[in-house]
Amino acid sequence: MKTKFLSLAVLSAVVGFSAASLTAQPSFSGPMPSTKPVQRADLRRAAYFDRIDEVLTWRAGLAKPGDPLITDMGVIVAKLARREDAERCSRSVIALMKEPGSGPFWMFPTTCIAYLGRGQLTPEAQAAIRTAWRTTLQLRGDTENHWAMYYTSLYLMSELYPDEPPGAWYSGKSSAANLAEAREYLIHWMDLATTIGQGEFNPTHYIGEYAIPMLYLATWAKNPAMRVRGHMMLDWLLADHASTTLRGVLRGPNARTDDTSLVERWNALASFFSWIMFGNTPPTAAYGGWGIYFAAVAKDYELPEVIYRIATDRDADYVQRDLKRTRRRWRNSDVSMAPIYKTSYMRADYAVGSYQGGISDPIQAHVWDVTWAVADPRGVHNTMFSMHPISSAYDMQMYFTELPDQMIKGVAKEGKPSYDTPDKLLGSSRFEQVFQDLDTVIALYAIPPGTRFPHINGFISGDLVGLTQDGSGWIFARGGDTYLAYRPLAPHTMEPMMKYKSMWTGERTASTDQRLVSPHLNNGTIVQAASVSEFKDFAAFQTAIRALPLKVKLDPTPTVTFKTLRGKTVTCTYGAAPVVDGKKIDYAAWKLFQGPYLNAERDSRRLTITHGALERVLDFNTLTITDRVKP
Amino acid sequence: MVSSTPRFAGLLLGFLLSAAFAAAVPAYDFFICANINRNYVIGSKIVTTNGIFQRAASGDWQHLGYNDTGISAVAFDPRDRNVIYTTGNNGLWRSLDGGKSWRMCNDWTMTEARDVAVDPHAPDHVYLALPDGLAASTDRAQTLVRRENGLPARGKYAQVVQVDRTRAGRVLLGCERGVYLTEDGAEFWRQVLPTKEMVLDLQQSPHDPQVWLAVTQSVGAWRSTDGGVTWAKLPGVPLTHPLYNVTFDVTHPQRLAIGSWGLGVLASEDGGQTWIDRNAGLPDPHHVCRVGVDPTGQLYASVVGATLFVSADFGRTWKPDSLAGSVVNKFLIQPKSVK
Repeated sequence: MKTKFLSLAVLSAVVGFSAASLTAQPSFSGPMPSTKPVQRADLRRAAYFDRIDEVLTWRAGLAKPGDPLITDMGVIVAKLARREDAERCSRSVIALMKEPGSGPFWMFPTTCIAYLGRGQLTPEAQAAIRTAWRTTLQLRGDTENHWAMYYTSLYLMSELYPDEPPGAWYSGKSSAANLAEAREYLIHWMDLATTIGQGEFNPTHYIGEYAIPMLYLATWAKNPAMRVRGHMMLDWLLADHASTTLRGVLRGPNARTDDTSLVERWNALASFFSWIMFGNTPPTAAYGGWGIYFAAVAKDYELPEVIYRIATDRDADYVQRDLKRTRRRWRNSDVSMAPIYKTSYMRADYAVGSYQGGISDPIQAHVWDVTWAVADPRGVHNTMFSMHPISSAYDMQMYFTELPDQMIKGVAKEGKPSYDTPDKLLGSSRFEQVFQDLDTVIALYAIPPGTRFPHINGFISGDLVGLTQDGSGWIFARGGDTYLAYRPLAPHTMEPMMKYKSMWTGERTASTDQRLVSPHLNNGTIVQAASVSEFKDFAAFQTAIRALPLKVKLDPTPTVTFKTLRGKTVTCTYGAAPVVDGKKIDYAAWKLFQGPYLNAERDSRRLTITHGALERVLDFNTLTITDRVKP
Repeated sequence: MVSSTPRFAGLLLGFLLSAAFAAAVPAYDFFICANINRNYVIGSKIVTTNGIFQRAASGDWQHLGYNDTGISAVAFDPRDRNVIYTTGNNGLWRSLDGGKSWRMCNDWTMTEARDVAVDPHAPDHVYLALPDGLAASTDRAQTLVRRENGLPARGKYAQVVQVDRTRAGRVLLGCERGVYLTEDGAEFWRQVLPTKEMVLDLQQSPHDPQVWLAVTQSVGAWRSTDGGVTWAKLPGVPLTHPLYNVTFDVTHPQRLAIGSWGLGVLASEDGGQTWIDRNAGLPDPHHVCRVGVDPTGQLYASVVGATLFVSADFGRTWKPDSLAGSVVNKFLIQPKSVK
C-alpha cells in the first residue's frame, strides 16, 4: 500500500534525536518561563533572538567535530544560519543530494539550504541541489500541509532558478510554468483560509508545516505580492494560535493531532511556536524537531505586538468563535468541504473548546475538551473529554483515495497505531454531536447498531485530584485550579489505560489515566467546569452541580435539557440545532472569526486583530497590513 | 487500423489472438504498476524500486521509467510505445521518450489520478480518472480539460476509465455512483449502471468487445453484453466483501478472475456462470488487491502484506513470483508495439 497518511514531522520530533542531545536544550529541561508579558519591545525582541540562537546553537552542536560529513539537513541549516562551517556544509550537501528525498518534507529543508547557502555553499554544492531538483520526482502528497510545503518550495526554487526549460525540472515544466502553478495554488489556499476557514485548523504538529512555508515566502519571495502574502498568512496563523492557547499550550479541538499530544496537551510542535514567539511555555524536545527550519529564518520576522499580547496578556474571560472547514472530501459526502463551527471559552484557569461534531479529518481529529492550566505543563495530562472511537473504511474513503480495506490496515502501521483500537481517544465520529455554551459541553452520541466499536470513551486523567463518582451520577474532580463535573448519560465502567511509547512500533505502557467506557449506542456526556476561586470549597462546587436541573432521554433520540452553572437552559437533541434559553443556534450566521481579539466576516479576506488599543488589519483584498493604536 | 464495426473488431482481435497463440508467440506485452514500499513516508528516500515493470521473456520483471511509489495505472500510445502515461499521487505523468524524461501533465487542480486510458482509434485522446471526476485531452495530455457533463455533482469519484476499442470516443467510467458511458469523447456522459458505492473496475472482453464486466464495492459483479449499455448481475459472486478488480484471460474465453480483499481470488471457467474460491496456497487472510492474467494465461494475485503470486493452472496452485514484497495496482496487457 502506498504510504499516504503520515508525515515525517512527528517521527522526527520523537525519534530523531538522542537522549544525550536533550541535555543541551536549556529551555526544554530548565524551569518554566514566566507567563507574564514582557512590556518593552526591545526586551521582547532580544529575548526572541536569544531563543532563536538557543535553537541554532543546539542543532549546530549536533555535528560532531571530527566527522567529515553532516547527514542531518537540520544541522546544515543551523550552521548556514550561523554562517559557519560552510566548507563542510558544502561537502555534506553534495553527499546528501546524491540520495534525494521524495516530497515536501525533503523539498522545504532543501529550499532552506539553497537560500541560506547563497554566498556560502560552493558552486558544486549548489549545483548538486539543482541537479536533485531536476532528476528526482517529487511527490506532492495528499494533504493541505503537504501542498503548502510543496508549492512554497517549488515557488521559491523556481524564482531562484528562473528562465530554465522544462528539462531542467523534475516536473518537466519550465521555471515559469512551475512558478505560475505554485503561485496559483498558494493564492487559492490563502483564499480558502481567508474566506471559509482553514482546513487543517489548529493542528498540534502541522502548524509548522504551514508557518515555516509562510515564513519562507515572507522572507525570500522575490515577488513583492507573494512576500506580503506570506507575511500576512504567518500573522494570521500566529494570531489564531495565540487566541487558542492557554499559557502557551494549544488546547481545544484540532483537525490534526496525535495520541500523545491529545492528552499531554503541551507535548506538541505547537508549543515550540508558543515558546519561540511568546516565550510563555517551554519548547518540546529537540525544539519540536522541525523547529530548526523556522528558527533559522525567524530573525527576519517580527511578531506584531498585538498578537503577542493576545497570547500573554489577557485580563478577562472571552469567547472566540471561528469558522473552519474539513479536509477535502472525495466521496461519501454531498459536500466537498464541510464547515466547522468552533467555539473557545478562555479563562485564566482553564479553557473549553469544541466544534459541532462530525468528521473534520478522518484519523487525527479531536472534537472537544476542557483543559486546565498548570504551573508546568510538561508531562501533565491536563484535559478531559469523551469521544466515539470509530474505525471505518467508509470514513477513510471520504478523505483518502485508496481502496476501502487497505486503509485501516495501513494507517495503523504508519504512525497512527490507535486508529483501529477500541480504547483509542483520538478521532472524530459521524455519530457525535457537540454543543458548548461557555464552560458547559454537551456531547451526544447516536451510534447505529453494527458500528465497529459501539461505545464511547471518556478520558479521565491520572492528574486529576479528588476524583469522586457521586451518587447523583456526576463524577467530580479537580485539575489545577479548576473544578470539573463529568456526567456520563449511560452506565459505564472505568478501565485502566495504556499509553503509547512509540507511535511507530505501537508499543504501549501503563498509564495512570483511566478510560470511562460506556457501551450504549445512544449516549452522551455533559461536562461543566468552574474556577476553584468561584466556590468556598470542592464540596460547594459539588452541591451547586447537583442542584442544576437536568433532564435526559436517550431513546429513541438522545435529548438533554440542562441548566448550566452559568444559568443558561440548554437543550440538545441529536440531529437538531441546539437551543439556548429558547433560541436556536444559527450556525449559518457564524463569522470567520468573532471574539474580542480576532474578527473577520465570512468571505471577507480581511482579519482584524485587536488587543486593547492595538489593532492590526490583514487585508488580502488589497494585500495591505494596517496597524493603528486606537484612541 | 481496426474497423469501427464492433463485431468485426472482435473477430479481428479473436483472429489475431488465435494466430498469436497458435504460433506460441504472445502478441502482447505484459506490464504491471507495482509498489514495493518498505517503511516509506512522504519525503524520505525511496529505497526500493517502484513503478512500471514489464515481464521479460525470461520471466524477470524489468523496471521502466521513473521510481514512483504512488503509481496507480499506466497506458501507452498504441502507435508508439515510447509514449507512456502513468497516474499517481501527483496526477498524470507522460513520457515521450520511452521513460527517459517525464512531464507532469496536470496542474494543482487535479491530483491523485486513479486511472488513464488512451483511445486506440484516436491516440491523441487521453482520458484521466480523478477522485473528483474526469479530465480529457485531445493533444496527448499536453492540455487537460474537465469533461464532466452528465456526471453527478457529487459521486463522480472515478476509479477506472476504459475506452471501448471498437469505436473512437466511446468510453466507460467507473464512479462512486455507478458506471457512466460517453459516446462522443466525453462531451456528455450518461449513467448506465447505478450503484450506491464505488465501481472499482471495468474490463472489456478481449474475445467479444460487446462483453464488459464491472465489479463494485458492495453490489457484486455485473456483466454487459451490449457494449456497456445494459447490465445484469453475475450470479454466484458473494456480496460480503468489496471486489477490487476483474480480469479476462486472453487465452481462454471462458476464464475470468476477481480479486477481493477478504474473498481473495475468485475464478470462473464457464464465463462467469459459476465462481470458485482459488485461495489454496495464498497467504491467509486473503487480502488480494489485484488479479491479472498474462499473455500466456498465467494468473497473478497481488496479496497486500505479502507479495505477488503466480499460478500456471488458473489458481489451483500458487507460488510466489519474483517481485518480492510488491503490491500491484495495475496489470496491463498491451498489444506489441510496432515502434
